[in-house]
Amino acid sequence: MSPILEFDKVTIRFGGLTAVSAVSLAVGPTELAGLIGPNGAGKTTVFNLTTGVYQPTEGRISFAGEPSAGLRPYELTRGGIARTFQNIRLFKSLSVVDNVRAAMQVHRTQGIWNSLWRGGAFLRDEQVVEKQALELLSIFRLDVVRDEMATSLSYGDQRRLEIVRALATKPKLLLLDEPAAGMNPTEKLELARLIREIRDRFQIAVLLVEHDMQLVMDLCERIHVLDHGTKIAEGTPVEVRRNPKVIEAYLGEEHALPE
Amino acid sequence: MKHPGARRWFLVAAVLSLGLGWAQDRLDPYFVDILTRIGINVILAVSLNLINGHTGQFSLGHAGFMGVGAYTAAALTLFAGPKLLPAGAGFWVEQLWFLVALGAAGLVAALAGLLVGAPSLRLKGDYLAIVTLGFGQIIAVIFRNIESLGGALGLNGIPARTNLFWSFAAAALTVYVVTALVNSTYGRGFLATHDDEVAAEAMGMNTTRYKIVAFVTGAFFAGIAGGLSGHFTLTINPKGFDFNKSIEIVVMVIVGGMGRTVGVIIAAVLLTLLPEGLRMLSSASPSLKWIGETRPLLYAILLIALMMLRPQGLFTWKRKKGAVTA
Amino acid sequence: MSEFIQQIINGLSVGAMYALIAIGYTLVYGVLRFINFAHSDVFMVGSFVGFYSGKVLGGTSWAGGLGVMAASMVGCALLGILIERLAYKPLRSRSKLTVLITAIGVSMLLQNVGQLVFGTNPQPFPDTLPATTFQVGGVVVSSKDLVVLGFTLCLLGALEYIVLKTKVGTAMRAVAFNPQAASLMGINIDWIISFTFGLGSALAAAGGFLWAYKFPRIEPFMGVAPGLTAFVAAVLGGIGNITGAALGGLLLGVIETLVKGSRWSTWTEAIAFVLLILILLFKPAGLLGRVQAEKV
Ligand SMILES: Nc1ncnc2c1ncn2[C@@H]1O[C@H](COP(=O)(O)OP(=O)(O)OP(=O)(O)O)[C@@H](O)[C@H]1O
Ligand SMILES: [Mg+2]
Repeated sequence: MSPILEFDKVTIRFGGLTAVSAVSLAVGPTELAGLIGPNGAGKTTVFNLTTGVYQPTEGRISFAGEPSAGLRPYELTRGGIARTFQNIRLFKSLSVVDNVRAAMQVHRTQGIWNSLWRGGAFLRDEQVVEKQALELLSIFRLDVVRDEMATSLSYGDQRRLEIVRALATKPKLLLLDEPAAGMNPTEKLELARLIREIRDRFQIAVLLVEHDMQLVMDLCERIHVLDHGTKIAEGTPVEVRRNPKVIEAYLGEEHALPE
Repeated sequence: MKHPGARRWFLVAAVLSLGLGWAQDRLDPYFVDILTRIGINVILAVSLNLINGHTGQFSLGHAGFMGVGAYTAAALTLFAGPKLLPAGAGFWVEQLWFLVALGAAGLVAALAGLLVGAPSLRLKGDYLAIVTLGFGQIIAVIFRNIESLGGALGLNGIPARTNLFWSFAAAALTVYVVTALVNSTYGRGFLATHDDEVAAEAMGMNTTRYKIVAFVTGAFFAGIAGGLSGHFTLTINPKGFDFNKSIEIVVMVIVGGMGRTVGVIIAAVLLTLLPEGLRMLSSASPSLKWIGETRPLLYAILLIALMMLRPQGLFTWKRKKGAVTA
Repeated sequence: MSEFIQQIINGLSVGAMYALIAIGYTLVYGVLRFINFAHSDVFMVGSFVGFYSGKVLGGTSWAGGLGVMAASMVGCALLGILIERLAYKPLRSRSKLTVLITAIGVSMLLQNVGQLVFGTNPQPFPDTLPATTFQVGGVVVSSKDLVVLGFTLCLLGALEYIVLKTKVGTAMRAVAFNPQAASLMGINIDWIISFTFGLGSALAAAGGFLWAYKFPRIEPFMGVAPGLTAFVAAVLGGIGNITGAALGGLLLGVIETLVKGSRWSTWTEAIAFVLLILILLFKPAGLLGRVQAEKV
């Protein structure tokens, strides 16, 4: 099957700094893929390139077989890429349910006149959207806090809400940037189970950036390793774990590779 | 219209405006004068709040759009009206033509808003503030250069068409439209854009479009307020729509609380009354005369103090849970 | 032809003063990413300090004039630092909008306090520096224009030296490039920001003094129009870029002066604005600026 996301020798420079250097990678249509590497390796930058926040200096990125150059982030999201952010970026003046509804309107917006007239169609549509939003929230048991302001949630719940919000855009590819940061081991296990469940239920590809190696090794089918902006390895968890280059890159890092 | 709240709003607004329109000649003229200005200021503040508050874009040229509306409406009633309408047209024809003039005032102002907003709203940052500030200055240059609109002297002898009915009906319409937009998919777009443009784009929102919709809608109502204002003061000139006027409106929004429609309405009412109070104070005794001369200074201090101590505004309380609903 | 050359010289001297103001906008934007609205009023205060110290000093001489200009620069540098410390620094962690509104408040405050102290009516600026006119070929040149240009060149040279050759200048550039990294390297960010405000304000004050020397009528709102034009100059050159700001200032000065001398003179005040819209449409990064990807 042809990949949903493909990087072909992608490079990006910020002034003198090459954050990502000639990286090639491919993610299959329903693959659970991992992207790892030490701090500053360029993982988040890969996400920003994928979502159109940055444009590559060199190389080509294609999504679902189409080149994505020049498309703005919202256009790519409409095309089926969704993401979470490493530093949580929820809409702080919206409630939990409205954060999700906001993301759902990618595919369902009311025109100005409908919004002003507030006829039957408008009210029905808002109800449908609300129902779908609550369904998604219930995956992470966030429906009980639907009317809280998003920023009043606990840190872990905010991370989960970011995933729900990303799912609400009905993606084909879901990018998760350190979703388990700040969670305890039980929460991490639960998160891993849910990520797998999401992939199975919605039949989407997931690309995961995560520093917790245990989680990545358990969850991912294929792992790409970055170091200093270049790709140093790719393979199954077992292959990557044994790769001497990877071990070297992590040497001195606090994250030991679990055997 | 199926929404019960929306229907109720229109009913109350219709009764109130018609009632006030009827009472126009039966009330003390000074009182009518203040009420009319309250209506106009509510339009200005609530519409600017859509841009500065809900959507988080900072416009400093609201008075400029007001000026565009004022000149458009005045040109229609002063020049076009007498040519197009049959001589000796009655009261209702005049009123209807005024309605047309107000609509045109809003539309031309909205068009100006589109021309100014489209290039500057594509960019992040404070560009809009500067561009709208420039627009406010430049609009005066443009009117000064149009001889048929009176040049630097402006237009005089504008017919007195604005009354309590028009002022309050337009204010009610503004509040309704802004509230309805904010409580719809648009509102979530405005607020998301306000909170975090990067995240909003990542959730599939075309933030530029939301910014432009908010900006153009705001300009539309500023234009209507301008039309009302011109047919109330009966004379307009390029200086009346300068930076100071824009700042007056900005202060209303900030005092009321950015993004809080009710607070902003309260602020618009109070800040219409405040100068009257100051005027009375300063004319009460010669030793208090300085009060009347320091209004802009007061506004400056008010702005700085609010930003330091209470940036959320004076009339805000905790946002109701789930406030953005159908 | 001679009239054209005259116009160009005149335009360059006006543009030089725009450049002096524009650099302040650009410097502050570089370190804080914010438009200091009160900058144009610091320019105004610059000519007012010149006005009062010129009266105290009396007389017309090179030494006296230079002293008056130095007084303006020192006074405004202190004012700029004071504004930053009192009004902007406490808000540094708040939203950009909060700081922007505060800056507008400070701008109005300066204008209105100026009005209380000085009154609304324009007053003549004392002749602190000598001035003559002379002819070269058919061209009538005012020595004022040459003085303005000469002084500006000296100031720009000094600025270039400070920014490129001194320790503070290097620190300034580091803070503009990456504040976190700069503070990790032991740079005192607060101090550098203060210095930047002081430097920008001193240049604006020099601009204010020269402006009053060339157009010797001053009033509390005199900063608004040149301030706006100078801001456009900064954007035209590429905001954050010092050379760009200087270039943009000169360019705008010449364009405005040429329009003023043409039959479209009544539209002069609209030029800067129209240019601003055009830049935003076609080259938002400005002539010398580079598009910078905001870190996400
Ligand atoms: N917009 C930008 N401008 C300048 N440098 C940038 C920008 N974005 C990223 N970088 C740099 O690119 C490098 C890679 O950053 P990136 O955030 O992708 O790393 P990462 O692998 O996600 O690290 P972490 O594990 O800490 O999240 C870093 O040195 C970073 O400072
Ligand atoms: Mg990262």
